[in-house]
Amino acid sequence: MANTVIGSSIVIDGEISGDEDLVIQGTVKGKISLKESLYVEGSGVVEADIETQNVEIAGRVTGNIVASDKVELKTDCRVVGDIKAPRILIADGASFKGNVDMDMKER
Amino acid sequence: MATAKELSASNNVDNTVVGPSILISGRLTGDEDLTVRGRVEGELTLSRTLIVEPSGVVKANVAVRNAIVSGVVVGNINATESVELTREGRMVGDIRAPRVIIVDGASFRGRVDMGDVEPGRLPAERPAVVRPTAVSRPSVTPARPTIPAARPTPPPPPSRPTPPPPPARPSAPAATTRPSAPITRPGLGGLGSKPLPPPPPTRVERAESQAEQAGAAEPPTPVLVGAGAKKKVVVKKKTR
Repeated sequence: MANTVIGSSIVIDGEISGDEDLVIQGTVKGKISLKESLYVEGSGVVEADIETQNVEIAGRVTGNIVASDKVELKTDCRVVGDIKAPRILIADGASFKGNVDMDMKER
Repeated sequence: MATAKELSASNNVDNTVVGPSILISGRLTGDEDLTVRGRVEGELTLSRTLIVEPSGVVKANVAVRNAIVSGVVVGNINATESVELTREGRMVGDIRAPRVIIVDGASFRGRVDMGDVEPGRLPAERPAVVRPTAVSRPSVTPARPTIPAARPTPPPPPSRPTPPPPPARPSAPAATTRPSAPITRPGLGGLGSKPLPPPPPTRVERAESQAEQAGAAEPPTPVLVGAGAKKKVVVKKKTR
């Protein structure tokens, strides 16, 4: 994966935007907007509003998520916030608190 | 060079990478190597190495241990160890690091501060620098005596012209001594002044002339001098 990786000891306070996949193992606060996929790995902590095509969350996310395609909450993830996406998957073991909205206009 | 290769090699292992289409604006801190192929704006603080690849753009104040710049950096870099601008590196800003490497081909505008020169380097650099100065210093020290000597010598010429006045004064000394004598020695000056006066007047003259040359340290003496000068003129007129 030659994509962008935010390592586990990295803390970003601000805004991340881009056109490629983003893997977060560290901490990001602020805002994330991508046109591709966001992966929040087990060690990843995101306190940000997220706007992407796809999101896979195995770590912690606090903030609202808007995805144009799919949001996947994996086992052991902790998510607090509203999720808005046409496809939302919540795996067994995931912890989630917030609203879910699958009624996308693009549908 | 070796360090750059080592670091870049170690960096390939598994570290934070900001991809070419990614923009991060804000504050970025971390304890690991960071490779920037995209764009980072704001503030960047790492306890390890920042690598800005040719496609990378960093517009930030950077505080890291090592920085290797092959891309573009606009902002100040403060590194605890080293900063290297490679051939493709372009940078505008100030660099502050004990080791700064700027390779041929790199473009850079800004200040470089390597801090206090390391104690190990001091003896190496100072002797080289000091030797020329030391060489010049010995020459200077002899030169200084000559220079001061030269300086005094020019003044003497003016002072020599001033001596001419003394020759004029011989006539004046009598006048000066005469008034000064009567003033200082109202009773005694009248009798023994003719035989004795010559030696004392000359002494007085010398003293006065010295006092004049000295710049009239005492207020009364200038007054006397002024009086003497007026009297000199009078004497000259009389002599003429």
